Amino acid sequence: MSAWLEIKDLHAKVGDKPILNGLSLTIDAGETHVIMGPNGSGKSTLSNVLCGNPNYEVTGGSVSFKGQNLLEMSVEERARAGIFLAFQSPIELPGVSMSTFMKYALNARRKAAGEKELDAVSFMKRIKVRAQALDITDEMLKRPVNVGFSGGEKKRLEIFQMAVLEPDFCILDEMDSGMDVDAVKVAGSGVQIMRSPERSFLVISHNTKFLREQIKPDHVHILARGRVVAEGGAELMDTIDRDGFAGFIKEAVA
Amino acid sequence: MVEEISEITRLTVDAGRTAVFVEKQLSDKAEIVVEAGARVKHYRLHEGANHALSVKIGQGASYELVTLHKGNGNLTLSFDLAGEEAFCRSDVVYMLSGDRKSLIASDVRHNADNTVSRQLVKGAVTDKAFATFEGGVFIPYERKKIDGAQQHRAILLSPDATVKAVPRLEIYADDVKCAHGSAIGSLNKDQLYYLRTRGIDEADARALLTRAFLDEVFDSIEEEDIREDFKRLAVFEK
Repeated sequence: MSAWLEIKDLHAKVGDKPILNGLSLTIDAGETHVIMGPNGSGKSTLSNVLCGNPNYEVTGGSVSFKGQNLLEMSVEERARAGIFLAFQSPIELPGVSMSTFMKYALNARRKAAGEKELDAVSFMKRIKVRAQALDITDEMLKRPVNVGFSGGEKKRLEIFQMAVLEPDFCILDEMDSGMDVDAVKVAGSGVQIMRSPERSFLVISHNTKFLREQIKPDHVHILARGRVVAEGGAELMDTIDRDGFAGFIKEAVA
Repeated sequence: MVEEISEITRLTVDAGRTAVFVEKQLSDKAEIVVEAGARVKHYRLHEGANHALSVKIGQGASYELVTLHKGNGNLTLSFDLAGEEAFCRSDVVYMLSGDRKSLIASDVRHNADNTVSRQLVKGAVTDKAFATFEGGVFIPYERKKIDGAQQHRAILLSPDATVKAVPRLEIYADDVKCAHGSAIGSLNKDQLYYLRTRGIDEADARALLTRAFLDEVFDSIEEEDIREDFKRLAVFEK
């Protein structure tokens, strides 16, 4: 029996450029994992490959998620199976309000599961409770998605989407970048509230202070040149704080 | 007060009158005269076969058109800003599907001083359909303080769909502000990916982005019922 999420010897490229070179990683239900690594080590590529971004080509290896072959599934099938990516740079959707966006997303799941569309009252309830918890106003829900919002507001809206869609596996790509201290706390509390024995997190970040205070990971992986070169518990962040990534990069080359 | 009318052939809106017309059925050829100081909003939700509309706008009068065109024929629009300080807005949404082939020709003539025109044309073309937009703005010699703007944007939703844009700006005067732009493209891949990562099927994601693109025209309609009617009817014909 395979693990909850099992990435084995994954190879992927963008255009002609190989980025992932035999990455292996296992995550069990209820765990919080952190991925750290220098720029260009493949952190964002991994999150995009897990979501099925068509700009990335998988050239080898396998990914199984809850017993399913993830790499054979479309982007939307993966999302409906419970995978969620909080984008590093959220995309603007002019003319589409956040509430319309979430209505489509929720109903897409229900349609795929053979359920009826959500009625207006249940939908509003689901939206409102989560918006309040994350300091998101009605006005922000009515405005076009990510258009004219600050970097921090966009990230907060990503966490909001995660809270509305209640995915099983949440990937947070550089969530703390572009956010001020207060916004990071609000987003961090959003993550903490969502912790559950059935839900796992994969958090990509450079910011050990944010990771220690808001994320409190069980496992830390260091990525260099498209592979995991070191794994450990939270204490691995102390090594990074002290010595940086230099030692790990040497290991990747060797 | 919104008036529903059918098959206009000749219509004169008397001086100083304010009117909102919703045209239900179109004639082949319609002529509208908006007399001095009158204010007209004209909404065309349905179309017939080939259709030509010409509007003459008098001194200080205002004429605003929003029309939905599905390409079951050609659409010919001409606007004559005949009196000083006349205003004309002429927005078009076109949605062509199947193997429809349609010419949308518009001609805005600033025949008096201090006249203003605004035109936003947005199109979505799918299957093997072919749309041509010919957008003319004509400003004669010695006209003063003219302000014209024309924007055309189209999205191609299939590899076999085609849009051709033919702008015709004939500006013979100096005291002119005239903005013009045309862009034809596909749906944004990053936006499609973003929607799909939230579980929305590719087909629904495409429909949602197309809708949002066209809604820019409809969202400027003040009358809520009419705005919603446009949005309901703005779907591709089989």
